[in-house]
Amino acid sequence: MKKTLLDYTLKIRLPLTLFVIAITFVITFYVSRAERDGIGYAPEQPIAFSHQLHAGLMEIDCQYCHTGIEKGRHALVPSVSTCMNCHSVARKNQPEIIRLTEYYENGKPLPWKRIHKVPDYAYFNHSVHVNNGIDCATCHGDVANMDVVQQVKGFTMGDCLECHRNPEQHLPYLEKVKVGPENCAACHR
Amino acid sequence: MSDNKKVTNPNFWRSLKEYHDNDAVFTAKVNEFNEGVTDEFDPSEISPVSRRKFLALLSASAAFAVTSCTDYRDKGEIIPYTKRPEGVLPGKPNFYASTCTACEQNCGILVKTREGRPVKVDGNPDHPINKGKLCTTGQASILNLYDPDRLQYPLKGKSKTDWNEVDSSVISSFKKSISEGKEIAVLTGLITSPTTSKLLNDFVNAFPTSRVYSYGLFTNKNRLDAWKESYGSDSLPAVDFDKADVILSLDSDFLGRDGSTIENMRKYSSRRDVLNNSNFNRLYVAEGGMSLTGMNADYRLRVKPNLQLEFVLSLANEIALKRNASEIDLSGNTLSLVSKYSLNEFVEKYSLNEKYVNNLVFDLIQNKGNAIVYAGDTLSKETHLAVNLLNEILGNTPVYSNSTTTFQKPIVSTIEIKELISKMNSGKVGVVIHFDTNPVYHLPKDLGYTESLSKVNLSLTFSQSVNETSVNSNYTLPIHNDLESWNDFLTRDNIYSLQQPVIAPLFDSRQKESALLRWINENDNYSEDIYHKYLMNNFEKNIYSKFDTPTDFKTFWYTSLHDGVLELKNNSSPLSFNSNSLNNIKVESNNAITLHLQKNYFLGDGRFANNGWLQETPHPVSKIAWDNYAAVSPSTASKLSIENDDVIKIEADGKQIEIAAFVQPGMADDLIVIELGYGRTEAGDVGSNVGFNANNFIVYGNDSVKYNLDDVNISRTGKRYALASTQEHHAIDDTFVKDFHYIRKIIQEGTLQEYKENPKFLDKNKYDIFDITQPHIYEGLKWGMAIDLNKCTSCAACVTSCNVENNVPVVGKEQVAMGREMQWMRIDRYYSGTPEEPVVSAQPMLCQHCDNAPCENVCPVNATNHSSDGLNQMAYNRCVGTRYCANNCPYKVRRFNFYNFRDHFANAYYENDLTALVNNPEVTVRSRGVMEKCTFCVQRIMDERENAIREGREIIGDNVKTACQVACPTDAIVFGNINDSKSDVAKYRNHELGYHVLESLNVRPNVTYLAKLRNTHSEEV
Repeated sequence: MKKTLLDYTLKIRLPLTLFVIAITFVITFYVSRAERDGIGYAPEQPIAFSHQLHAGLMEIDCQYCHTGIEKGRHALVPSVSTCMNCHSVARKNQPEIIRLTEYYENGKPLPWKRIHKVPDYAYFNHSVHVNNGIDCATCHGDVANMDVVQQVKGFTMGDCLECHRNPEQHLPYLEKVKVGPENCAACHR
Repeated sequence: MSDNKKVTNPNFWRSLKEYHDNDAVFTAKVNEFNEGVTDEFDPSEISPVSRRKFLALLSASAAFAVTSCTDYRDKGEIIPYTKRPEGVLPGKPNFYASTCTACEQNCGILVKTREGRPVKVDGNPDHPINKGKLCTTGQASILNLYDPDRLQYPLKGKSKTDWNEVDSSVISSFKKSISEGKEIAVLTGLITSPTTSKLLNDFVNAFPTSRVYSYGLFTNKNRLDAWKESYGSDSLPAVDFDKADVILSLDSDFLGRDGSTIENMRKYSSRRDVLNNSNFNRLYVAEGGMSLTGMNADYRLRVKPNLQLEFVLSLANEIALKRNASEIDLSGNTLSLVSKYSLNEFVEKYSLNEKYVNNLVFDLIQNKGNAIVYAGDTLSKETHLAVNLLNEILGNTPVYSNSTTTFQKPIVSTIEIKELISKMNSGKVGVVIHFDTNPVYHLPKDLGYTESLSKVNLSLTFSQSVNETSVNSNYTLPIHNDLESWNDFLTRDNIYSLQQPVIAPLFDSRQKESALLRWINENDNYSEDIYHKYLMNNFEKNIYSKFDTPTDFKTFWYTSLHDGVLELKNNSSPLSFNSNSLNNIKVESNNAITLHLQKNYFLGDGRFANNGWLQETPHPVSKIAWDNYAAVSPSTASKLSIENDDVIKIEADGKQIEIAAFVQPGMADDLIVIELGYGRTEAGDVGSNVGFNANNFIVYGNDSVKYNLDDVNISRTGKRYALASTQEHHAIDDTFVKDFHYIRKIIQEGTLQEYKENPKFLDKNKYDIFDITQPHIYEGLKWGMAIDLNKCTSCAACVTSCNVENNVPVVGKEQVAMGREMQWMRIDRYYSGTPEEPVVSAQPMLCQHCDNAPCENVCPVNATNHSSDGLNQMAYNRCVGTRYCANNCPYKVRRFNFYNFRDHFANAYYENDLTALVNNPEVTVRSRGVMEKCTFCVQRIMDERENAIREGREIIGDNVKTACQVACPTDAIVFGNINDSKSDVAKYRNHELGYHVLESLNVRPNVTYLAKLRNTHSEEV
């Protein structure tokens, strides 16, 4: 039987094309995984605030600025007035502080770039995690050593469940640890 | 009930159609969905892209997206406060005490705000009258704050103007009127605020030709006038229904519409507590229409409203003269009046149930001093006078409460209203101010108010949105919503309730009191806080001094604001009855058809017409939403050959209306009942032209406003009008044999006597159920609910509270008619007995969170499944909308988003930035194509979990209060951990009267119902 163009297409060309597409897909899927999950995301902020300086070098407690974390769902980005507690006196003549003071005095909204985000249909609660003794760095990474804050861990549902199912692996510093809830309504309502 | 179908068990039926075995109902039951539910999916409107093409495009774009994915997604911004306000923590609610002004009862409220915006209104638990509870209207009134039809700036005619222009033109008109000696008329609703009243006095002082007219679409003026004639006092006492062993309600819906309903419901149902069963009260209702109170009656008599006076006098005759059981001596005119009427003749003439009437007389005499006869607001002054006499005969005055109510401004008489209109017509009135009232809509057309308005130099209407009166006025002035206003109210003569703003004014509006204040002090500039200062001033001078307190005024003021309510000691004076009041009573009996105008349940005097949540709450009895109708009894309907949805023409007193008819079981014959408050023409996108306006039939007589008309002519028009009812669909999926309602134990009932003799009487027909699988054992927490049907009055406060808490959308009349309403909770209503004298059972129905939930097994994507603490959870993001779960739910409590209802309803009416502010941020706003249902308020459970973890303790089930539970005025709903044997819910769950609906299916529901006990006489068991 004579081989036709169709045979060639079906037997060689098509599998080859499919193989190439599949390989490309698999490679890009894994290569871009971190980016898709936002890992490594470190946007430029409106004020070049350094966590390394404040939290690292000066050892200011996270909760001095990010208040309310043990009381409620949200960890607050500090209001501008919190910055001004110190900066109405400290380093007043630095260019970044002058810009900060401008925001404060004119009551202008200060648009910080959001780095860590769970979708709005997931009701993540900071207080239940913090009050169970979980360290900020477990999810947010070692922010105290970041000049520009970036996301280091994934914030997908898979990442949440991974820790909820095997807390002793991810939270070795906790003496007593219970598994987290896995039911839908724990996060989705 | 025809003889061949005679059964020993109650034969439950939901509608007359069903009672008569209509084929349509039968077919509807066989078919899962109503006709039309799945319509509107026209294939030609589907995109022309074929499935294959779509998949090809999809994979291509996916591959493209993946390979070109080189940048991070932007995650938006976080904008913190510049200066965080004290006490505000984003994500945590703040609560402020205030006062509800949806009606003149002025219940105390607690407003929940999130990040500065009010999201829910509940009752203030510290308030002595409503004790933390709030009615449907009060709950839903929060939507009016975010109503997109709210007026955003002052209008001159129809064009935009500004307040400065208004101020100068109003003040110059005032001056002109005064110099010409013309009257400045202020029309207000009922005034319960002492400071508003003082302000109106100041206004009259500043502009000496002005006069204040206080009126309402419905008032209790007849009751007030009768009280004054009988007892010589303007202060009307409340009734302590908890003190009454026997209650006779005469066309009074004291549980639903008349007076302080929240307080009444609480007090009434405190005597229906099965955990303390020895002191059940007994409720007799004699009424023409079928009301919420009538639904709850132990004995119900059908008496037309125009016969109530004769009925009361006949009762007085029977008790005082025939049985000689009077507590007071009757003499003179009263004696001769009472002796004219015989109860036996009355019973015979109007064919009342003789046995019931005998029981009534027996009970009233037996319980002298502990009974109460209570007449409805719409009955005549004479009837109220006779009722006062009957209560005196029975010595019932101790049942009246020490707590009294007095209006701050007297309600004007009908003559004064007529005089005002003739003065307007003859040009003697310079300025008319409508102080948040709508007389063009309220007053019957034959008074000619609208025409007279055009003869006035200047007319002003204060209103939150454009209405019938404002379109006939020169200026429409936008006013603050309650939640933006300051005020004080006298809920009772000794209870001050304060109102404070919880949000800054959204628009360029003014509080109506501030606007008057600005005009009184004509040289001062307007500032937002002028009325606030005025209020504080008045409070310091006139109210602070009444309280013997060592604190300074500032502290006193802030404490009062914080609590929202202040209570003075009660100085009650003894009642002295003046029997001469009955001298001029005339009884007219009439056998022709009577028209009775009644209050509606949820829309107030029409002011809430534009509130979709309220329009969509089904009528407690008929379950019709989005309409009013002319209700007639089944036998009158067949006499006049009227069917449901027929448009009939009603003529009376030279006026006429065409209105849809509805055949209401249990109504008195030869009677038409129409509820007022509908048929607004200028209410906004939601409320305009909903229902029928029958206000024209109100008769402004010489001495009082009459709501009953005799000699009514009814004719059929041949037209049809579809009323949307939630009654025929979402019928619980019963089998096709009617008696199975009872056999399947959806409703289980008994009598108090039966229960006392055998507390376990329900067990006799229990099924023996076995599991074919090992039942799952719940250790630790397991959530459950109990609903006590003895306490439930079916007022629907729970339904609305759930709507507000859980972001339930409004779907509109067409969608309700197709069975697509979205309320997570409904109140089912079953009739048993005959259409003429039915017994009514009500049952709140919501997701039962079954252990063996049938919905969970059929979900192809596992979007609905069970949590370890017993919740039937619904993950919206997983749901693909197959609707299998709704098909498989035996309780029919699942709701499907056939549209993005916020987008669909009335041309995207609720899809706007303003109305979105009412949404609860703790609950997802569902979109099209997703199934949803009651979650047991999982967001509140999670709040308790958060608190427990913070405080390092276990979760306490009783700390979680679901939205419906918080709202329930009678505390019929209990929620908690059923594994905690000490909890309230466990007590109910293990009670002898506890049962589950459709137990035989072995789905193991977690909502326990407590069987209703009727307190009938033992011989009828």
